[in-house]
Amino acid sequence: MKRKLQALAVLLIFGVLKLPLEQHVTRDLRRMRLVDEPMNLGTGENMGQMGLAATLGGLRGLVATVFQLQAYVAFTNVDWAQVDKYYNFVNRLQPRNASYWEEASWHMAYNAASYYLYSEDLKPGLRGQLYQAYVKRGIDILTEGLKFLPDNPRLWQKLGDIHWNRSKDFKAAGDAYWNAFQNGGLNFTQRFAAYAYAQSTDPASWQKGYGILKKLYDEKKATPGLIEYLKMLEQNLHIPAAQRIPDAAPVRSTPDPQAGPLK
Amino acid sequence: MSTTPAVSVKNLTKIFKGSLGKGAFRAVHDVSLTVEAGEVYGLIGPNGSGKSTTMKVILGLLKPTAGETSIFGIPSTEVASRHSVGFLPENPYFYKHLNGRETLHFYGRLCGMNGAKLKSRADEMLALTGLEDAATRRVGGYSKGMLQRLGLAQALIHEPRLLVLDEPTAGVDPAGSRIIRDLIIEFRARGITVLVTSHLLEQMQEVCDRVGIMAHGRMVREGRLEDLIAVENQTEMVLENASPALLAKIDALVKAEGGDTRLLRSGHPRTTLERLFLEATNEPKKS
Amino acid sequence: MSQAAAQTSASFSTPTVRFSPSRVWTLAHATMTQLMRMKILPFLLVLCALVVAMGFGLSVINPEKQLGQLKSFSLGSLQIFSIVIGIVATALLLPKDLEDRTLYTILSKPVPRFDYLLGKFIGVLMLIASGLVIMDAILSLILWMQQSVLFDAAVAQLHQDKQDTPEALAQLSEIVARQGLTWNLHWAVWAIFLKASVVTAVAMIISCIASSTLFTIVITFCITLIGHGEALIRDYFFQPNLHSTAKHVASFVLAAIIPDLTQFDVVDSVTNGQIVPWNAVNDMTGIAALYLGVYLFITHLVFVEKEL
Repeated sequence: MKRKLQALAVLLIFGVLKLPLEQHVTRDLRRMRLVDEPMNLGTGENMGQMGLAATLGGLRGLVATVFQLQAYVAFTNVDWAQVDKYYNFVNRLQPRNASYWEEASWHMAYNAASYYLYSEDLKPGLRGQLYQAYVKRGIDILTEGLKFLPDNPRLWQKLGDIHWNRSKDFKAAGDAYWNAFQNGGLNFTQRFAAYAYAQSTDPASWQKGYGILKKLYDEKKATPGLIEYLKMLEQNLHIPAAQRIPDAAPVRSTPDPQAGPLK
Repeated sequence: MSTTPAVSVKNLTKIFKGSLGKGAFRAVHDVSLTVEAGEVYGLIGPNGSGKSTTMKVILGLLKPTAGETSIFGIPSTEVASRHSVGFLPENPYFYKHLNGRETLHFYGRLCGMNGAKLKSRADEMLALTGLEDAATRRVGGYSKGMLQRLGLAQALIHEPRLLVLDEPTAGVDPAGSRIIRDLIIEFRARGITVLVTSHLLEQMQEVCDRVGIMAHGRMVREGRLEDLIAVENQTEMVLENASPALLAKIDALVKAEGGDTRLLRSGHPRTTLERLFLEATNEPKKS
Repeated sequence: MSQAAAQTSASFSTPTVRFSPSRVWTLAHATMTQLMRMKILPFLLVLCALVVAMGFGLSVINPEKQLGQLKSFSLGSLQIFSIVIGIVATALLLPKDLEDRTLYTILSKPVPRFDYLLGKFIGVLMLIASGLVIMDAILSLILWMQQSVLFDAAVAQLHQDKQDTPEALAQLSEIVARQGLTWNLHWAVWAIFLKASVVTAVAMIISCIASSTLFTIVITFCITLIGHGEALIRDYFFQPNLHSTAKHVASFVLAAIIPDLTQFDVVDSVTNGQIVPWNAVNDMTGIAALYLGVYLFITHLVFVEKEL
């Protein structure tokens, strides 16, 4: 009996000593992005969620993969609400997995949005409305994902893509591309940021875009597209002739990014 | 030169605490016994009389509630006491995936033996217990008698001075139990002390030097077998070449004495151990 | 009187019995073979092989996804099986030895109870470790083969789409390298082993308190589940404005007696291609060693007094 009491005492004393140690190790591992923060629990659903978090402990990845597969099935059935629901769950389970955020937003902003845009069963007015709603959903998903992965260049880049291609919000696209580049994105994200700024309606953004492109031009990193946009910005910003670049390439006048480089 | 007893049990009491509202159970009550080195001591008693508990306390598997036990002077609570003892539990099982020789090697290694010494000792024990032919067979395929003999071999592997055998012949056929009985006699001849429990009282009578009879957790009789089975209120005279006339005279003398004295029969007035056992264990329980 | 009977105690030296690594190894080896004979390891391997095969059968979305899914499935199932085996094998061993009276024959030899416990514990860990090593090797091989196949296929696709710019190829190569076979995979398997070891140690304590296999299994599973939420309970306990004493005490007791198993949950991050630095490996190994040391000591305190 004496030994059993000793055992209990050791367990409790160790318990007291281990708490700060566990706290330290967990902080370390969270800082290294190896261990997830506890799941973000809403107040009303505390118990259920906590039970869930505990039950899935250590197996979140596995369960997320299963839900992702279910989302894929829903996608093949063109059931967008289900796709959204499953990805919502996948992302709650695996908030640090960028590809899940990316995939979820792609499904919403591209697949679902286009599906409604070209759905012949719907009245034209409603089509546009649903298109906008799903594009916005895609943007929201990426914005949420970027709260968990603020320095992920791919998510920033995908956000830029959606703003550029889908919602035509070039200022936002420029900011997103610029963030992608700042966080180690590939070189083209820097150019794309500037192209997006160039197409916005905001002179301050033009100025930013001009700064980026001029710097690249001076570093001899100009591409045909870059020169077109640079010339467009020189014109729009009324850059004095002496400071303009000497190239004779044609000046881009259309803000449509889909048009490609001028021939 | 004083000799240290092989086993010493002094005023042993063992109470099992009840769990979940069940009352405590007193399995052994103030038992004392001594097994001298070199003798075969039989501990007998009906089921639940406390003999297995006593054995387990001697082996350090249970802690005494009161009293103390020792093996060759070392308290049973110390692991070192197990250097001198080999134990064969009732109906032993061994790891089924090992063969006979591997089983002995396993137990030998636990005792710190290894190399050629362990190998030769294991082979010697296999030969002693007649398991040489089964040495490479899986233990899972052994008969009950073979398991029992393997149990004896493992108990002896580290050359203990004391063997504790719990029902060594339980469930073994007559031929098998005769082999085991012969082995016990062989152990005694080799100078090994044996503490044995058994229900087969005839066999116990054949091998034991001393016995202790337990009932209701108490020691009710203990002593040399010869003394215990002698009938105390009767006297045996062994005459050689006595004529019928002499016997008639003796008979007349007894009758003349009167009172309770009478000649019952001529011959050898011995009771059996079995009768003694039944008498002893049917005595009313002491408080 | 026989020769031995004439000997006195004084003529025998009584060696003290010390901890012996070779004795522990003998017990560990026997335990592992005993468990192997219970067909636990082949069962584990067959199930894992099925899971890996399933990993191949999953949808091919892109190389990153395919490799990620393969890792996620394999590591997830390894995690489940290592924990299940740790708990079930430990819960079976002590009662089985007791039932077969093997425990009596072992402990009636000069074997300290701690050596027996440690031998059994190491035996179970050896079983888990060998299963994990084999699976790690198989998974590594598959990943290595898959990553080159998938990379080539993706490059061919880019080429066909006329998108094979150096930038795109570099990015693809970086993605496949991160998701493919790296040291991180082995560290994830190591983390799985550490977690299973801690759970096994918990099962040992419970098994020594209760001799019932079912009780040990159920309680250890419950502790394992709560152990994955211990960080939440601990965070709750450390909240500065926790006024209720009852809540304070309850959360403290729970957090104190239960190990935090999420500290070993790096599997998901590894699946996502996250790098596991040395610091993290040291942290995890250190805290696991601490748990094991203390839990084994507690098991010893409980077992040394156990009535057999």
